[in-house]
Amino acid sequence: MAIIVKLDDMLHARRMTLTELSERVGVSLPNLSILKTGKARAIRFSTLHAICKALDCQPGDLLAFDPALPDLPEES
Amino acid sequence: MSLPYEGALRVSRRALGALVVVNVVYGIAIAGLLAFSFIAEDALMASLGVKPAVDREAMVRGMRLVAFVGILAVPLAHVILKRLLSIVETVRAGDPFIIENARRLQPIATTLLGMQLLHVVIGVIAARTRSAVQELDINWSFSITPWLAVLLLFVLARVFEHGARMRADLEGTV
Repeated sequence: MAIIVKLDDMLHARRMTLTELSERVGVSLPNLSILKTGKARAIRFSTLHAICKALDCQPGDLLAFDPALPDLPEES
Repeated sequence: MSLPYEGALRVSRRALGALVVVNVVYGIAIAGLLAFSFIAEDALMASLGVKPAVDREAMVRGMRLVAFVGILAVPLAHVILKRLLSIVETVRAGDPFIIENARRLQPIATTLLGMQLLHVVIGVIAARTRSAVQELDINWSFSITPWLAVLLLFVLARVFEHGARMRADLEGTV
């Protein structure tokens, strides 16, 4: 997918673990893990809001678009 | 996962399994009857109440055609029953709202439409079959309900597919 999730970089910059973030934003660890590994199909604004608040960052710090990467897979 | 309606599902599964067998037996019986009409035409026609007439052959031909169309309905019913059985299995597994089930509903609707068309063909054959002394009476009647069921199934298949896609999307939403 052409959308890159940079959650790992932000966590590293804020010296925060995924478990800590999970506790702060109230999103389960497996779901955050799905997001971090770029396997999520969509992200709720509420989740984005909570993560940005917890990591003190902008949505653009978490997500990026790389046109060189392949498109979204066809829906089955 | 234990479902509260596990018993009903078990009964449905068994009923569908039995119907699959009954359908095959029905097909074999009709095929046997058709074959018998060639082997012992007089005896069969007498037992079916076909009165002797100079043009009895028209009655015999009509009855053979009805039997032939009846045999054609067997694989169609088989398709419906097997797909329904697969849908019931997914309910038992606890995850029926999947794209595969939507794809099973679509051919069920198409096949049911095919069966309804066969029903019309039988009606036409019955209406046109007669001898000088009697008509072919197979108690055929037209009903709007099965046609509505076909329409409903096509609509439901689309609704189900849409719902399954929405759920798939939601599953990947964080």
